[in-house]
Amino acid sequence: MNWVGLWTLTSREVGRFFSVYRQTIIPGLTSSVLYILIFGFTLERRISEIDGVPYTLFIIPGLIMMNTLTNATSNSASSMLQMKLLGQLPDLLQAPLSSFEISLAYIIGGMVRGTVNGILILLVGVGLSGMPVLDPVATIGFIMLVSWAFSSVGLLLGQMAETWDQLATMQNFFLTPLSFLGGIFYSIKMLPDWAQEASFFNPIYYMINGLRYTILGISDSAPNTSLVVAVFMTIGFTLTAIMLMENGKKIKQ
Amino acid sequence: MTAAISIRNLKKSYEDTVALKGVDITIGDGEFFGLLGPNGAGKTTTINILTGLVRKNEGDTKIFGKDTVKDYRFTRSQVGISAQEFTQDWFFPLDKLLYFQAGYYGITQGKAKDRVDELLSKLGLEEKRESRLRQLSGGMKRRFQIAKALVHDPKILILDEPTAGVDVELRHELWQYFRELHEAGKTILLTTHYIEEAEMLCDNVAIIDKGRLITEGSPKELTRQLGKAGITINVTDTDSELDSCLKNFTYTREDGRLHFTTLDPEEALPNIINTLTRAGCHIQRVETTKSSLEDVFLSLTGKGINE
Repeated sequence: MNWVGLWTLTSREVGRFFSVYRQTIIPGLTSSVLYILIFGFTLERRISEIDGVPYTLFIIPGLIMMNTLTNATSNSASSMLQMKLLGQLPDLLQAPLSSFEISLAYIIGGMVRGTVNGILILLVGVGLSGMPVLDPVATIGFIMLVSWAFSSVGLLLGQMAETWDQLATMQNFFLTPLSFLGGIFYSIKMLPDWAQEASFFNPIYYMINGLRYTILGISDSAPNTSLVVAVFMTIGFTLTAIMLMENGKKIKQ
Repeated sequence: MTAAISIRNLKKSYEDTVALKGVDITIGDGEFFGLLGPNGAGKTTTINILTGLVRKNEGDTKIFGKDTVKDYRFTRSQVGISAQEFTQDWFFPLDKLLYFQAGYYGITQGKAKDRVDELLSKLGLEEKRESRLRQLSGGMKRRFQIAKALVHDPKILILDEPTAGVDVELRHELWQYFRELHEAGKTILLTTHYIEEAEMLCDNVAIIDKGRLITEGSPKELTRQLGKAGITINVTDTDSELDSCLKNFTYTREDGRLHFTTLDPEEALPNIINTLTRAGCHIQRVETTKSSLEDVFLSLTGKGINE
């Protein structure tokens, strides 16, 4: 194992997004504050409580999860595509680094960005609305787990994509709609039966509800189901990302 | 002694193109070796297979006796590559990029510091260590590529068009630096479009075209064997005895114009002049022609290196 190489690439990945924090950290914070102020505080007058929780508090775990998985995905995806387009990838592929080490470094980079964003929005939620956090350790653990899973998704997307347009398509037409339909702003109990059943096929529904359970103690899905889905996604996407890197599709001839 | 680079029966096809049709090359430890060929000949594919960017279809590629696929950690750690295409980076300064590069090869920042300082200084980039790549001129970017290739102190240096797009002064400075690296014991594999560069620097060269190795040898050997060298002398006062005086030479005669065919004109010239003088000829004009590696290249491939 090339530990120094792994550490170097990981620190590069983390350093990269911190060096452009105006693009990678501030936007998520700003939009979450706006969601809390506009949707939370205004709609709270009409939707007083869901499962005994004030509406503003109800939406915060969903906002945390949306930012977590969006940032985790886009970090590894954009970094991989950028390295391809800027001609940096040969530096990695010609170095004594294994596919496993390269994949791991990218995934950890995305995981750190997803987790940092998630925790910052958690703190904003606590600061703005006095939200109690039922189990802080489980909350942070779940944020890290989902960040890892979606960072692996991002690495897959980044390796397969050839243009920024293709990446944007994946984000705009799949990730964002699935996040919104996963129950950020509502409980699926408020939906008609067919829509409730459709939600069960949306993996992000389990991510949002799992996190909601660790913070507020309420969830539309069974907490164990959320955990199992998150663990399976993490393992599945991590292995797929490593195998694709080993296969060299779109990066080696 | 184990060869630094050994390539045997290397074959590679892309979707509808056969890039390499069975190339064999051996590069000795400490050798300065030139790989020449027109565009699309298979030079970059060969290098990319050696370094792991491209997968071969058939054949063996070894670095210091180790397989470049099975023992990739060892083989890649022995090689530094200065690619033809400039790398770009938007985020980090030059010194940080060199530390990253060293890190990929297992060298911590603490251990790489002296080497990074030395390379930045040697390649005239010291004042730019805090700059981003986009702030550098083309020549500086080229020097940075070379620094990046050398940061882990590899035994083998692969230079893919290392002087492309640089001005004459820098080209001479880089040539001098390459000579120093060679003298210090590094094995160097050079691809270049400047044949005089290969002729001047390389111990041996291989010419490949259409995925096949055409010839291999030292530049001097190749020009002697495959070039067309000769001496043309215009004389007056020739008599009928001249032909018998010149019987030991290969030559043609058109009135007072004698054309001698020889592999080494400089060596043959004094002997020819002595013979002509003794025969009572009055020499009016002497012209020597000697092939360059470029002539050899042209005659073998039927095209220029830039075609």
